[in-house]
Amino acid sequence: MEFKEVVGRRRSIRYFLPWRPVERDKVQTILEAARLASRAGNADFARAIVVERDALSKADLESLTLPVNAGMIEMAPIHIYWWGDLKAFARDMPSRAAEQVDMGVLNISHGWTHTFINEVAYPQVVQAFSSDEVLCAKVTGCEAGLAIGQALLAAVDEGLGTMLCTYPEEPARQVLGVPDSWTSLWVQFVGYPAESWEAGGQRPRPPLGELFHEGKYGQPFRGTEEGAARLRAAKMLQDPAPFSWRKEEVRAVSRMLGLPEE
Amino acid sequence: MPMDIENTKTIQTWLQGLEDQSGVSRDEGLQRVAVLQDFCALVDKEPDQIIDECLREVEGGKRIRAKGRRFYADKITEFESGIGGGAGEKRQKGNYIRSFLIHNGVLLQTSPLS
Repeated sequence: MEFKEVVGRRRSIRYFLPWRPVERDKVQTILEAARLASRAGNADFARAIVVERDALSKADLESLTLPVNAGMIEMAPIHIYWWGDLKAFARDMPSRAAEQVDMGVLNISHGWTHTFINEVAYPQVVQAFSSDEVLCAKVTGCEAGLAIGQALLAAVDEGLGTMLCTYPEEPARQVLGVPDSWTSLWVQFVGYPAESWEAGGQRPRPPLGELFHEGKYGQPFRGTEEGAARLRAAKMLQDPAPFSWRKEEVRAVSRMLGLPEE
Repeated sequence: MPMDIENTKTIQTWLQGLEDQSGVSRDEGLQRVAVLQDFCALVDKEPDQIIDECLREVEGGKRIRAKGRRFYADKITEFESGIGGGAGEKRQKGNYIRSFLIHNGVLLQTSPLS
C-alpha cells in the first residue's frame, strides 16, 4: 500500500476477530517500524512488551483490564504495551552521538565534534532535559510517540486492525516486570478487524487552517483545492464518517461477538 | 408487582437512549424492560437503586463506583447462566441489562463470546 493510503486508512479499530492469530512476521514488522522511527540523540526512548493475549493468565489479563480497554483487551490477540524509558536520553545520547560523529551523520559542518558532545551538548542540553521531570517526560513521550505512530501505520499496512488505549501502570509493572525507569504510555491492540476496515469512515477533524498556522499564531495555513484533490486521489483523504450503514454494521458485529448491540 | 415505568427515571433514560442512539422503538424497548424486571427480581432491587449503587455524586458530575459495577457485572453473568434458551439468547438478554447500565452512565463491557 502506498504511504498516503496507509495514513488515510488508519483509524482505531475496536472490534477484532478474537480467534484469528496474528502472524509473527507482521508483529515483527510493526516493531521494526517503531525501531526505525526518528528519535532525538538516537536514544532508545520507545520500549515495548509484546504479549499474546492467550499466554496471559486469567488473573493477569484481569489486572491489565480497565473499563475503557475491557472489550479490546479480550478481543485482540496481540497486545503491545508501549513504555517510555525516562533514562534513555541521558544514558544513550553521549555514545550514540559520538558514534554518529564517527559515521559522518553528525558533522563538523553543523558543529558536531566529540568535544562538543562531551562539553556542550550532553551537559547543557541532555542533562538539563533529563534532570527536569516535566521536560524529561515531555521529551520521552514525544520521542516514543513517534515510534508508536509508525507502529500503528505499519499495522495498517500489514492489513491488520489496531488502536491505542490506556492500561494500568502498576499492575502492568507487576505482570510485565519492566524496569523502574520505564513509564507507561499506551497499549496497542493488534488483530484482524471484525469490522470493515473503513470502520465507519475517516474521523472528522477540524480543517487544516484551524489546527495549523502560517507565519504566526492566528494566521491559518491554507491548503489548495489542487492539493486536496491530489490527496483524495491518493486515498489519503477519504469519505468521512458517518456512513449511513455504520450503525447496522456495529449491531451485526456486536451480535456476532455477543456484545451489547444498542 | 409490575414496574412503574413512567416514573422510573433510569428506565426513561434507557428507553430514550435506545430510541435516540439506536432507533429502538418504544414497543421494542418495553420488551427489554420486561427482561430488566426479571433481573431486578434476581437482585431484589429497583432499577434506580441499581444505578445508584453503581454511581456516586462528585463535584462536577458522577463517578462510577467500582465495587457496585463489579457486583452487577457478576450478577448479569449469573442472570445469563440462570435463564433458559441458547447461548446467543442468554447473552442477548444479559446484554439488555448491560445496555440499561450503559445508557445510565455505567461504563460496562463484556467478554466477546468465544
